Amino acid sequence: MDYVFQFGVVWRDIDTLLLGAWLTMRLSALAMVFGLIVGVAGALARTSRYRALRAVGHAYVEAIRNTPFLVQVLLVYLGLPSIGIRLKPDHAALLAMVINLGAYTTEIVRAGIKAVPPGQIQAGIALGLSRWQLFRFVVCLPALRAVFPALGGQFILVMLASSVVSVISAEELTAVADTIVARNFRSFEVYLIVTGLYLAMCLAFQAAFAAVHRALFARWGA
Amino acid sequence: MRARGRTVLFVALSIVLGLSASSLARSAAAQNVDEIIKRGKVIVGVNTTTPIFGLVGSDGQPEGYDPDVARLVGKYLGVPVEFVPVTGANRLPFLLTNRVDMVIALFGITPERAQQIWFSMPYATEAATLVAPASRAVKTVDDLAGLRVGVPRGAMQDLILTPQAAAKKINLMRFDDEATALQALISGQIDVVGTGLLVNRTLNRNDPGKNYEVKIVLRPLHFGIGVRRGQIDLLQWLNTFVYTIKNNGELDAISRKWRQLPLEALPVF
Repeated sequence: MDYVFQFGVVWRDIDTLLLGAWLTMRLSALAMVFGLIVGVAGALARTSRYRALRAVGHAYVEAIRNTPFLVQVLLVYLGLPSIGIRLKPDHAALLAMVINLGAYTTEIVRAGIKAVPPGQIQAGIALGLSRWQLFRFVVCLPALRAVFPALGGQFILVMLASSVVSVISAEELTAVADTIVARNFRSFEVYLIVTGLYLAMCLAFQAAFAAVHRALFARWGA
Repeated sequence: MRARGRTVLFVALSIVLGLSASSLARSAAAQNVDEIIKRGKVIVGVNTTTPIFGLVGSDGQPEGYDPDVARLVGKYLGVPVEFVPVTGANRLPFLLTNRVDMVIALFGITPERAQQIWFSMPYATEAATLVAPASRAVKTVDDLAGLRVGVPRGAMQDLILTPQAAAKKINLMRFDDEATALQALISGQIDVVGTGLLVNRTLNRNDPGKNYEVKIVLRPLHFGIGVRRGQIDLLQWLNTFVYTIKNNGELDAISRKWRQLPLEALPVF
């Protein structure tokens, strides 16, 4: 039973695979943007001086980080209709990704905020910065700079985790690969190509992160 | 440049690991009846997401028509059965990569599939159908225009509807398994589900009031036990096995237990 590779039949479906990869990239990019916003908001809540806000932030992080992503996806897609919220598969997938990434990002950004020395904030106040300026230049940007590599790692992880949203019929890369395999049975060939596509997307996202890092922090000499 | 070198090394390593893993798996799978008996267990792929034909029971063990047939395989080989859960999409790769000795997982017999694997003689009869609540006016495939039709990925319903979906404006949605597709129907995330002849009973029990019914029979099907191509010894044994349980009443008992129907006459080839 020696395996005979047949890439020819798989190349016929390369358009479909690329379409799937495109949805994976779109879902991941949007999840990263909104996940970061949720994460910053969550981190602010967790470091807030109000106890109730801290409790809400804490509960969110613990609930999401201690449950499987697959269950969260199924809950959003199959559970929410019970209370009248019907989302299309792609939207349900995106929402689940944002909620999931937001919880992890909350913890990462919180670590960054904790790393800002109190003296730096006091210096900002002494210089007469407004609350917004204080937040933006003295807390948020230094915090993000400190945790940028960790954030990048988490963002890549959410892209790889997006492969499970095929269960709710979102046609991302893994889903279209499974469909093609179900039709031509060339699983080894298809998944080898899919591995390459995921790898290429990871490298592309890492290059994008590096560009963002340069644009945000170049004048800091980093 | 160094980063790129590392990437190339990583890819090469993955391929090498993948190849060696597949050769390890090769030695683990039994290729004939003697090897199965010598190993002391038969490894069978079953679907555990499909009402009637295979679900996970309250004791955590697979139950249904297919697992019961698998248990009879074990009984007649004189070895215990090790169940491996498979889905419509991965059952064939599981067989080809030697993870299981055989697949008993509502595997419809088609010439396309027979290019990759061998089927035993049919041990069950079914049909690829479309099911919807009674209130949904669907009589032919043309009536599906604009509707969300959920199917298990790679199942017969998927293979039949995919070529016509675009032209007939069917919003075809593929789920990883049948259980999720059925749940999506109950949640109202899809309008019509691709399934079998008898699943509407289970649906009506779990979601009463909608009166789910079979709207369209896409095509009748017979299920065969799948083995790797070339395993003439195992195939011959399985055909003898199917012949036996068809005629001694054991398969009829399984049919009555799970389908509440007597066993129909099954074709042979």
